[in-house]
Amino acid sequence: MKNISDEKILEEANLWINDNYKVALATVIKTWGSSPRQVGSKMIVNEKGEFLGSISGGCVESSVIDESLQLIKQNKPFKKIELNVSNENAWEVGLACGGEITIYLEQIN
Amino acid sequence: MKKQLLDNIISKKNNKEEFAIVTNISTGKNFIFEKNKIIDKNFEKYSDEINNYFNNKQNGIIENTDIFIDTYLKPIKVIIVGAVHITQFLLDYIKNLNFEIFIIDPRDYFASEKRFPNMNIINKWPIEAFEEIKTDSSSALIALTHDPKIDDPALKHALKNKFFYIGALGSKKTHLNRCQRLKEAGFKEEEINSIHGPIGINLGGKSSPEIALSITAQLVLESHKL
Repeated sequence: MKNISDEKILEEANLWINDNYKVALATVIKTWGSSPRQVGSKMIVNEKGEFLGSISGGCVESSVIDESLQLIKQNKPFKKIELNVSNENAWEVGLACGGEITIYLEQIN
Repeated sequence: MKKQLLDNIISKKNNKEEFAIVTNISTGKNFIFEKNKIIDKNFEKYSDEINNYFNNKQNGIIENTDIFIDTYLKPIKVIIVGAVHITQFLLDYIKNLNFEIFIIDPRDYFASEKRFPNMNIINKWPIEAFEEIKTDSSSALIALTHDPKIDDPALKHALKNKFFYIGALGSKKTHLNRCQRLKEAGFKEEEINSIHGPIGINLGGKSSPEIALSITAQLVLESHKL
């Protein structure tokens, strides 16, 4: 079951696309250990690096933004990303949840 | 994901449909799963597992496969009786949750568009209003007028239709009188006891936003027992 904020993300994605932005959609597809966001949580990123939604409550958003920009730049349809929340990826915001998450990243086009 | 799929998801959500997006994460192929409809041939062999995830309202990857299921459930209906001050604060909290919200108030000076912009407001008596809203055991009632003329018919409707959450505003004394009236109307003690009255979990606050917060907390708590 989703929180409404995750569902509203798709409507936001639609608005961005209608404004001619290129949009990547990141969805949490698997979690291990303690990770802050549940499976199905979503985040969208456009080619300017702007983002909405959340896939980890702040721990790994920056990596997913970088991956999204690459996906859009290389015009790839999708990618699977495995992230370890507890390592150096987490230092920026000082969180170390100790969990791991897998993200499915896809372009909407 | 194709833009067309995104459009489909948004339109199904707006129509309050229940469905799942099933994706093969190694090929990128996907389709919209709906109960009792034909499954895309690329996913036919996972039919049982997909149905299981959907029936259990779960998201996740089917074990030992690359098939990811993302389930979309229709929102829980929350019917608020009384377009009062507390209702305005209550909406601030609950509009961010997965609820479909209706406000009923027969008093047009309360149920005005100006006081509740962009909300489903039904400016009718509860009995007439409930003819327009399909309700069942996954619906919730929040009765806030503390006027028996307005609240009681709504409470009776909610009890008869076995709403999962029924809350009614009013002091302990008001609630005792309410229980007595419902008893005289033929409701069983066990049904009457299912009403949360005085409404909300006890946070100690008495201001409108604090009461609204305590109602929100109780509603969320009860909705996770569904």
